[in-house]
This record gives sequence, C-alpha cells and structure tokens, in this order.
Amino acid sequence: MELQAVLMAAGGGSRMMDLTYNTRKPLLPVGNKPLIWYPLNLLERVGFEEVIVITTKEVQKMISTDPKMKLDVKMKLDIVCIQEDADMGTADALRHIQQKIKTDILVVSCDLITDAALHEVVDLFRAHNATLSMLMSKAHEFTETVPGQKGKKKTGEQRDFVGVDGTGKRLLFMANEADLDKGLVIRKSIMRKLPRMHIKTGLVDAHLYCLKKSVVDFLADNKSVSSIRGELVPYLVRKQFSKSMTSPNVNDEADQKLKKKDGNANLEIQILSRDEVLLQLTRERSCWNDHRGDMSEAYHGVRLRCYVHIMDEGMCYRVNTLAAYIEANRLAPKLFDEPAVHPSAAISVRCLIGADSIIGASCQISDKASIKRSMIGASTTVREKVKVTNSIIMHGVTIEEGCNIQGSVICSNTVIGRGADIKYCLVGSAQRIEPEGAFWKTPSRLSCAFY
Amino acid sequence: PHPSTGGGGIAPLTEQEEEEQPLQAVLVADSFNRRFFPISKDQPRALLPLGNVAMIDYTLEFLTSTGVQETFVFCCWMSNKIKDHLLKSKWCRPTSPNVVHIITSDLYRSLGDVLRDVDAKNLVRNDFILVYGDVVSNIDVSQALQEHRHRRKVDKNISVMTMVFKESSPGHKSRCEEDDVIVAMDSKSKRVLHYQKTQGLKKLQFPMNIFQHGSDEFEIRHDLLDCHISICSPQVAELFTDNFDYQTRNDFVRGILVNEEILGNQIHLYVTQDGYGARVSNLQMYDSVSSDMVRRWVYPLTPEANFTDQQGQGCTHSRHNVYRGAEVSLGHGSQMEENVLIGRDTSIGANCHISNSVIGNNCTIGDNVVLDRAHMWNNVHISSNVEIHQSVVCDGAVVKEAVHLNKQCVLAYNVVIGPNLSLPDGTVVSMHHPEEEEEDDDDEFLSDDQEVGHSKDKTRQKAFNPAEVGPEGKGYIWKASMNDTEDEELAQCLWGLVLNPDPESDSESEASEESQDRSRSVSPEIDDVNAFQLEVLGTLQRGLEENIVCDNLVLEINSLKYAYNITLKEVMQILTRVVLEYPFQQQGTQLTTLQYTGSLLPLLKTWSPVFKNYIKRAQDHLDCLSAVEELFLEQDTHQTAMVKVLMKMYQLEILEEEAILKWFSTGATNDKSRQLRKNQGKQRMSLQRKESEEDESSEEGE
Repeated sequence: MELQAVLMAAGGGSRMMDLTYNTRKPLLPVGNKPLIWYPLNLLERVGFEEVIVITTKEVQKMISTDPKMKLDVKMKLDIVCIQEDADMGTADALRHIQQKIKTDILVVSCDLITDAALHEVVDLFRAHNATLSMLMSKAHEFTETVPGQKGKKKTGEQRDFVGVDGTGKRLLFMANEADLDKGLVIRKSIMRKLPRMHIKTGLVDAHLYCLKKSVVDFLADNKSVSSIRGELVPYLVRKQFSKSMTSPNVNDEADQKLKKKDGNANLEIQILSRDEVLLQLTRERSCWNDHRGDMSEAYHGVRLRCYVHIMDEGMCYRVNTLAAYIEANRLAPKLFDEPAVHPSAAISVRCLIGADSIIGASCQISDKASIKRSMIGASTTVREKVKVTNSIIMHGVTIEEGCNIQGSVICSNTVIGRGADIKYCLVGSAQRIEPEGAFWKTPSRLSCAFY
Repeated sequence: PHPSTGGGGIAPLTEQEEEEQPLQAVLVADSFNRRFFPISKDQPRALLPLGNVAMIDYTLEFLTSTGVQETFVFCCWMSNKIKDHLLKSKWCRPTSPNVVHIITSDLYRSLGDVLRDVDAKNLVRNDFILVYGDVVSNIDVSQALQEHRHRRKVDKNISVMTMVFKESSPGHKSRCEEDDVIVAMDSKSKRVLHYQKTQGLKKLQFPMNIFQHGSDEFEIRHDLLDCHISICSPQVAELFTDNFDYQTRNDFVRGILVNEEILGNQIHLYVTQDGYGARVSNLQMYDSVSSDMVRRWVYPLTPEANFTDQQGQGCTHSRHNVYRGAEVSLGHGSQMEENVLIGRDTSIGANCHISNSVIGNNCTIGDNVVLDRAHMWNNVHISSNVEIHQSVVCDGAVVKEAVHLNKQCVLAYNVVIGPNLSLPDGTVVSMHHPEEEEEDDDDEFLSDDQEVGHSKDKTRQKAFNPAEVGPEGKGYIWKASMNDTEDEELAQCLWGLVLNPDPESDSESEASEESQDRSRSVSPEIDDVNAFQLEVLGTLQRGLEENIVCDNLVLEINSLKYAYNITLKEVMQILTRVVLEYPFQQQGTQLTTLQYTGSLLPLLKTWSPVFKNYIKRAQDHLDCLSAVEELFLEQDTHQTAMVKVLMKMYQLEILEEEAILKWFSTGATNDKSRQLRKNQGKQRMSLQRKESEEDESSEEGE
C-alpha cells in the first residue's frame, strides 16, 4: 500500500448555510447522489480499496441507516467520527487519526467533484519524492443565476497568488491578496535558484493533497497547526527555502542548538523527509537535474519540495457555495453513466422530461409535467401541469398542480402548494408554500421568511 | 598566410518590404559614466578594441545586419576620434547599406540629452532602435520589431518601447551583478510591469498594483540579460523632452511604469533564446564578451570574418579557436593552447604559453611568457619571463623583464612597468595622475568621455614611484578605492563587481525571516528607532571628539529626528539612554559603579544644554525619568549610581525637583521598580533636605 486515502467529511459547509441547515454537507444531493459519493468514487476509480473517512456522528448515522444516502462503493470505509462541536480543523483531524497512518497519505475533501487524472498528482509526488503535492484547477465562471444573489458575481474578491517555477509544477509561493498589503516580496536567493517564476491567479485549490507520513508526525507534535490549507500548506511551501531544509547534512550539534533555541526546531527536522541513502546515491551518480543554468545539484539540495498539478481542462468543482452547488448539479450527471431516470420512478407517459434532467428513485411524475435541466430527488411527487426548469428538487418534495418552478433550489420534504410560482428562490427543507404564492428572486432562505 | 574574407558581414536586407520608410537607429557612442577610467581618458569607450575591432563596429554591424538603413551616431567625449574612425570605416563608403550620420556635441551629458536632441532636430520619423556604442550582438531584432509594430497598430501608440532581453540563467558569466535586473511581466501580452535592478537587494518587492490589470498570469523573471537594445517609438524622444529629469533609460522605464496610469504608455519586452547580446559596461563584461567572441558565440561576427572589411585585418582560424593574423611569428616551443587571437605583425618569442588571450597588432612578446586571459591591445611590448593573468594591457604599454601581473590589473596607455615586479590584484596603472582626475570632478560634467580641459596643467608632472611601477617604470598607480566618499558610482571600480552568490548573506536573511515568522510582534519601526539611537550615539561621540557646540548637536539630532520620523518623546528617551549608556559603550560593561559615575557625571555636565533643549514641559521630565528608570532596571548592578545621576541632573537643572518627587510618589509598575524606588529613598531624603539648604547639597552630591 503506497498511499492511504483520507476523506475529510466533517466540514459544516459554512459558506452555504442555507443548504446545510438541515442536511449536512457530505450528504447534500448532487445528481441524486450524496456529495460524499463523488470523492469516494474518485478514489475507487483509481483503485483504492480502503479509505479513512473523517466525519461526524450524525453523518455516519445517516449513511448507515438512511437508504437514500446509501453509498454505492465497494471500498472498505473506515469511518472515524469526530465531535461536531470540537471545532476541529483538517489538520486537527489528521492529528486525530495519526495512529492509523502507516504510509504517505492522500487527503481529499468531501466536496470535490472532479474528473481529474489523479495519477498526475501522485506521479509528481513520486517522481520528485515530494513532501507535498496538490491539485489545482483553473477557476470556472459560474454561469447559472444563483437564487437570492443579486448581481452575477461578487467582485472584489481576494485572489490567491500561486507561484510556480518555469515548468509549472514546482510550487514556490502561495499567498492571498489580503496578506500582501506590502506587495509581493520574494527573496533574491530564491529567484537566483529558480529564475523564472509564474505567478498565477484565478486558480481553485481542489483541496486534494498528497502528504508524506512525516508531515502527519509533524502535525502530531505541532499542535498549533489546525488547518491544512490555511496553515500547513503555506508553511510547507515557505519551508522549502529556509536554511535548515537546504543544508546538506544537519549535524547533530546544530540540532541540539536548534532544540535549545526553541521547541519547534526538532519538529521542523522531523518534517524533513531525509532522502534514503540509495536515493541520495542515485541522485549523485545520475546526470539528471531538475533545473538548468547553474551547476548546483538537483533541487539545489532542497529536501522539502512542494509540487502542484494544475488542470488545464476538465472538471473540477468544490461544492462549497450555493453557486458551485448548482453548477455541480448541472454537470455532475456527465461524470457517471447511469440512466437519467431511475427505474423505480413512476413516470407518466404524457409528461415531458428533458434529456438533461435526472429523476431519482420512487418519484412520481404526473401528466403534462415538464421537467427541463433539473434534478428531481428520490420519492418526490410532481403533480400535473407542473413546470420545473433549471432547478434542484431534493428528496421527498411534493409539488402540487400547476406550479412553476424556475432556477430554484427546493430542499427536502417541502410541500409546494398548487399554482405556486417560484423563480430563483431557495426554499428550505420541510417547508410548506402556500398555494398560488409567487416568489420571484426573493432573498434566499424561504425557510425562515415564510414559515 | 593571407586569408581575407572581405565583406563577409554585409547581410541582405529583409523584412523591409512592407515598411516603406527606412529603419532608423540611434547609436549613443558615449557611456556618460566613468567606468572605464583611466583607459577612456585616452580613447572613448566605443573605440576600445574587442577582439582587435573597435566596439562601435560591432554595434554598427549589428544594426546593419538587422536591417537598419540610417543610423545617427551621437558622440560627445572625444567625438573627433570617433568621427575619424567612422569616416575611415566601411560605414561611410558610398556603398554602405546603412547611412551613418555623425552628430557631435559637447553638451550631451546623458542619454536623455541625446534623445531630447533627437526630438529637437526631428530626426526620427518612425520606430527606431536605440543602442549604445558598446553593444555586441548578433540578435535579429526583426521579429521583435514586427511584434512592436503589431502592438502599435492594434492599440494606438500605447506601447512606446520594446526592450530586447536574452535568456541567460543567473550565474552566467555574461551577466554582471551591476546590470542584473528583475522583471515582472504579463505572461500573455509580454508587457513589462516592473523593472528593477537587483544589485544589493536581498528581497525583491513588487507592488500589488502591478497585478491588477485584469490578467491572471504573471511572470517574474530573473533569467534575463538586458542587452541594452531597445526598439522605441518616436514618442520616446518626445517623452524625454517632456520629462526633462529623465537622464538614463532606466529613469525612462521606471517613469513610464510608475506613471502608466497617467500617461497611458506601456513597455513590452522581447526575449531571445539563441541570439547573443551584451553591453560592455565594465571590464568584467569586457573580459566575458571578448572571450565569448573568441569562442564564436557571436557568430557570424567572428574574428576571422573581418566584417569591418579593413585591409590586413584578416586572420586564420584553426583548431581550439586559435586565430592568427598576417605575419605572426611564433618562437620555438611556444604554445597557443586555446581561444587565442593574435593580430598581424606580432612576434612571439620562444617557450611562451598563451591561452584564452587576445593580442593586438604589432606586439612583441619575449621568451618564456605566460599569458592567460590577457587582453593586449596594439603595439604592446612584453619582455621575457613575464606572467599575465586576466589583465588588460592597453596600446603602447611596455612590460619589462620578469613582471608578474596578477588578476584584474590594468595597464593603461603607454605605461611602462618593471623590471622585476609583481603587481597585486586589481592594480591600475596610468600615465595620468589620479589627482588630475579629481580636479576634473569639479567639472560639472560627469562623463567618462569628458574633455579633460586643462591639459596645460599637466606640466605639474610628479615623479613616478619606482616602488610601485618598477625602476624603469612610468605611470601612476590608481588606487582601487581612492575616494570612498565620492558618490560617483564606483568610478574607480573598473572591473565591476564580481558575481558571487553569497550564501552567508542568504542564510542571514533567511534566519531573520524565520525569526520574523515566529514573532511577528517586532514592528518595523523598531528598526528606525534603533538606527536613530545609533545615529545619536555617533553624533554625541563626534561632538566629544571634535568639541562641537551643543547647539549644533541639537541641530543635528533634530534633523535626525525628522529623517527617522521619531517623536519628541522618543528623542528624549533615546537621548537619555544613549548618554547613560555612554560609559559602557566606551569602556565596556565591566565598569564598577564608581568608575561609571566618574565618567558619566562630567558627560552630563557637557551635554546638559542638549538635555535642556528637549526637556521642557512637566511631562518631559517624567518621560526622562522613566527612561532613566528603565535603564537602571536593566543595569541592576549599577542601581546605586542612579542616586548620583538624578542628583547631578537636578543640579544641572535638567530635571526639576517636583518632577523627581512626583516620579517617586507615583505608583511603581512592577516589583523591580518598586525595589528601585526604595533604594532611591535615601536620595529623596537628601533632596528634601536640599530644599531647605541648597548650598550644602551640592557638595554632598559631588
């Protein structure tokens, strides 16, 4: 076993509270499958047989009991529950399962939907004996109108600056615009080693990381790091060029001094994945080098290396906002080839269902209903003359006769009264919409406003 | 052997069909600096031989082969020599495809002046190429030119300049530290967003506004060598006229980039991977370019090509890049190992060992001579048993028996050295006396190619120092760092700074960065305060040594206060601290309390006017007291001295009594200071006593 897979599925989905109010983020239906299925499927496709899933009790219960949430995976799931209110970050979670980690790890977030070739990331990890390799993708513009959001896109968002070397693989620099108020500062010594740096903005971090086991051990000792993306990754990227990582042989005396100087030093040394002797020898004897232009050894003797694979094309979404959720629903069905209409659904012959729609199990679609570019969750009832366009209808929803639903998200177990006209709205779960009600672009969360 | 390859350099004109107007170039045959002093006292830089051909010929050949049809050569320093040279050259023959106009004026002091003159005389009608007379290149800029024209066609006149760069990694020998640049560019449009010389910088800072132009991909490049070839729009000349403070191209580029939003002009870059282009900006570059030339990197501009088409300049090229001119004689047992170029009519004695060297015309070299990386110009005489390493020997120089020239020596025109002498590294010998040069400094001109003016004054000849130049020597040693205070950029440093990556300094900065990572609490102002403290200390020290009046000290401290942006309160605290620490500073920290007070009290007396100037309001007194307290809390072995210090300050009327009493009575902030105050109790008693009988107390205090 080369890599152990770890799936982080304990996040609350704080950036889309409207959706996650009743349904936990990992269980949100995307293309009639819980969100968590997508990363699991990704792992299964590349041949993982076992995965450690870090999640909350609630989610675990739902997965094991609710038939709608049944995960259609053959892998062995090792579910580790963490307390919901403990406010644990992703790095905290890794620390929590340190005992289970025997090899290098692949960390995936539960909200990742991608068709990326995972081996690209792993190959970088292997080829360069990297400490960290990660996946990024060009950011996509969300085309759909988002319920309750005024204007198309929030502007003035802080961009992430990602610096890679001339080959576009080595990760050299990472910072958010917000932290760069004094301008972008790069040490000249770095520029001298890697004279060509591409600075890219407009990338999304897929939150998929290959990490050396030593990093997990480092986390175990260094309790102050709580988030992988927020703290650990920037730390590793920065550490690539610091002194203690480059010196060829950290002699013990220096170690001692460092230890005395501050407690962190010995932890830093741990993270240093010492190249194995044979590997070292190979590198010395081989004429291969990762750079050209000067005569110094490969990687300039840097032993902590971070790499990134940037997807140029293909699909890569992180379902962490409402806009991303809607977009993912539109695109997710393309990822798997299953019949769009579940065999157990009862569909009237006289209704109209667009090819780009999905109908879940045990649905009832009545006469003259028209469903276009939409997802209908399991056990949902759609009555006569209902028009559903560009919408997401979750499980167990009842839509009475003559409703017109457009560009909206209707959460589970809601009943929509007859003749209601809902456009670009988000309706919370277990709501009851009055008949003939008309809601156009109302601010989101009908759940609160119209109880 | 008489090989002659006439006219090999004239390239056919291409890329010109579409453009009706001839391509123009502005060649600045003056460097406007003194980097080649004292060599350039006798010969302008553009005429210095590189591979036995004047540098300006390379530049003109480059321009011609790239399709330039009209070149304006601007000369200032020794313009007559350049003019003579050009009039004799192939460029001024009627068949020349490149019409050369020579424009001379003694009034040019910078590139800016030249371009302002270009604008005034309305010389350029279209895009033109701007180069210096010391650029050696074989880059075909037609591609860059096309891109430049395309950009100008697409968005009207926004791009004013395309700078030509050559890709070469840091550490490449044709890159010199002085000219190293860092460029931030837009990956797609190739627009220059930031351009900075990196010399002396450890951290490179890029302002955020350069990343806010809508693009999402940028490149930061440190692998570029600035060839000093620029394709300019006609507006460039106008912009120089509009902005009379632009002196150099660097000023211009920075100005355009900074004022991009106001003027709306942009600069782009063109990167070539396979061409050769470099500017001979100092002797180190001269050495590199010369050896590149001999190693044929500038093909087709090779030594045997004789592209200047001059009679007798031809030479043969044989294995290991050994070039021999006409009538070269080589003595028995002499070896030309590799990369050697020997000019015509040069004779070399027996058992010589020559490698990586260029030897000019009409030179004579004795027996058993070792030359490595030597650059010998014309009519040089080298006697036997001489050894020369990486040095320049100019025209007419004579090196006598058994002289040893170590690295980076320069023998300027007509110097005689030896016999039996070894010159240390970096020795510069010239027939001009260094002091002559200093007189020139008074001149308003700062041009290396600048008329010496008072040639008659040179009658005041000084005797040559035989210890320096040998018993038969003629010439004066130019000290490498003759005048540090001179702010003329490195005037004496002929060889330039050698590029050596300094691992120590790297690690230092890393260490400091790491420590910053750990404790961000250290605010940057601290540095200012520290610097200010050091300056105050220096000022006071000087004040003591030179007996400066306290008023002047105050004046100086005030100006420092503004320079470092220090508040009045801090000034006072720092001043107090500096004065109280002064004895430690001067005599070490192992002073006994008695010694300490002994040396401090007179100081307090001397500087009391300084204190009085700053301590006026009641709050000032308290601040001063707290500074005193703080210091003595640190120096807890000397706490007893505090009584005396306070007493003295009271007597000198620096501190008022009420202030001291108030300080005493105010609540102590921590245990230590409470302890301190307790110790001062005695003093308080004495103070109170003094209140009644003032005369006595003064004696008590002494």
